[in-house]
Amino acid sequence: MILALAAILAIQDTSRVSEAQSVLSQLVESYGVSGSEAPVREVVKRLLPGWVKTETDTAGNLWVRTGQGEGPVVIVAHMDEIGFRVDTINADGTLGLRNRGGFILSLFEARPALIHTDRADIPGIFLPRDSGLTRRTPPPLRVSVGATTRAGAESLGVKVGQTITMPKQYVRLAGTLATGRSFDDRMGCAALILALRTLDRSKLRHPVVFLFSTREEIGLEGAGAAARQLGTATRRVHAIDTFVSADSPLELQNFAVAKLGAGAVARALDNSSITPPAYVDSLAGIARARGIALQIGTTNGGNDGSTFVPYGVVDVPLGWPLRYSHSPVEIVDLKDLVSLADLVRAVAEDW
Amino acid sequence: MMMEQAVKRQLRRSRDNGGGRAVAVDRRICFLTVSTAVAVLTASLSAQTADSLAIRFSGMTAVTGYEQSMTDSLLALLPGSVRDRTGNVTVSLGRGAPKRLVYCNLDEIGYAAGNITDDGYITLRRVGGGARLYPLFDQQLEGQRVTLFGRRGPVPGVVAVRSTHLTRGRPTGNEAPFTVDNAYVDVGAASRDEVLSLGISLLTPVALTKRPQRYGNGLLAAPNAGRRAACAALASAALARPRVRGTVVVAFTVQSLYADTAGLKTVVNLQGPFTDARMVTLPSKFPDTPVETVSLPDVAALMADVVKWIGGSQ
Repeated sequence: MILALAAILAIQDTSRVSEAQSVLSQLVESYGVSGSEAPVREVVKRLLPGWVKTETDTAGNLWVRTGQGEGPVVIVAHMDEIGFRVDTINADGTLGLRNRGGFILSLFEARPALIHTDRADIPGIFLPRDSGLTRRTPPPLRVSVGATTRAGAESLGVKVGQTITMPKQYVRLAGTLATGRSFDDRMGCAALILALRTLDRSKLRHPVVFLFSTREEIGLEGAGAAARQLGTATRRVHAIDTFVSADSPLELQNFAVAKLGAGAVARALDNSSITPPAYVDSLAGIARARGIALQIGTTNGGNDGSTFVPYGVVDVPLGWPLRYSHSPVEIVDLKDLVSLADLVRAVAEDW
Repeated sequence: MMMEQAVKRQLRRSRDNGGGRAVAVDRRICFLTVSTAVAVLTASLSAQTADSLAIRFSGMTAVTGYEQSMTDSLLALLPGSVRDRTGNVTVSLGRGAPKRLVYCNLDEIGYAAGNITDDGYITLRRVGGGARLYPLFDQQLEGQRVTLFGRRGPVPGVVAVRSTHLTRGRPTGNEAPFTVDNAYVDVGAASRDEVLSLGISLLTPVALTKRPQRYGNGLLAAPNAGRRAACAALASAALARPRVRGTVVVAFTVQSLYADTAGLKTVVNLQGPFTDARMVTLPSKFPDTPVETVSLPDVAALMADVVKWIGGSQ
């Protein structure tokens, strides 16, 4: 029946929303904890248009270069997601973990787990706390793969350094909303892919680098490597990343106000960068000229573009409104993805 | 395959030996061997049935008092089964005295829609639990997928959680567990009318979305895996056409967690008296959590034990 509901919703979608969903769902259902983005990188490559030539640098970033001349505009979205890394294999066969990125630990407690390997994923569970501790936050989490000894866990293929997440699924909700985990920042990756599919390369006035970056969640590391490489030559940078929205029954409404479904958002002020007001105005003008829905706001979080700022590069981050960030049930509106893809294309072609 | 080969070997020997008596003996051996093969095959198929039913049942939802969709499945699964007005599913095996009862409890603690806000969120009340409730039971909802079993079919939703990013720089002092009073279910609707149009109304049952996880060597993790695996063992035993001593009523009871075990009492009052009764249960690890874990070989062993009990063995 849930499938039937999804089918009805799919029939009601416009072709733009359908295409957005097709791209996004494949990205969301791939796994790529920070430092282990290879599966996502392969999905991105598969979804790019045929004319694109990609390069992968030593940091794992995927580059798509287009346009002619000097001084590229960089448009960057990150491929990685939050999760864990196997830090130790304990004598009792359980796995000690290290967080990769920031999130609410209790959301993973007592849930199914997947240990990602080069071959098939190994199923397990995030163990429930074993004491009578009834405060909200659990002690450090451990994972069981059903083994009772270190050798038993190793015989299943577990190794220190592997990454761990919980199983995830892209699911449509009412209207054009959808839920899943790691929309941050697969929405950004999807926006770049959708923009590249419709990009009119003859309109480009300067080179544009579409960059799919690594290790954003653990300190903007992939983008940092790209920024060091391009340095002061960069004309402008647009990080395409989540606008964490207060459009939720649980959030204060004193900032981060951007409604789901009302379009892309200029992330004009966050914890890592401030967009000069004149650039915000220019962006608004470009969106207006093309009839693209745009909201302007301020939220929390850092963005990959901020790694270019020390080189004298202006960062104009763009996003989309996201509910319940870094949780297993992030929510987005597909209409916002369409709007964001249009805006990415517009800043590449018109600015 | 090994049994088949043994049978063929016996037949070959009988042809080689000739002689009526030897043939008769070999035919008996052949009959016994085939019977053993059939028994082994049946046991193996039953174990498979128990495994697959444990996984299937663990994926089902039966909030106490709202068990109908699971009992629909049981009625379809078990030939000759009936449902009483309380919702219990029973099937009667054998005939005559003694009359005995074997049952499992199939319901679970869950939630029902308690209110729908103007802006399209659904708030909840818990169904079942009480003083025995695991203190972190409700917290297991926070930031997770749920399914709402509405009049037009299941509807996916999520339970709202604060965005990690928006907690930064703000005091987080509240370390009290999340409770059902904090639960806002988001189905993607923007208004009460939109929620109602999805077939969701007050009292719609709500539960964590279930995706049973197999792991390790024959382990199965899922909410209420212990109860569901016990019911799977009972259903597999009933499906195995066991030898029956007297009459055995096999019951899948509802509302064991509410209204003073109304389901079981109904079965006893409608179909009793019984000379003996057995509740089928299975030990589990991590009870009352979404990863309650059972061992699938234990399910098969429990099924075999229930078959014996139905046949009159202790």
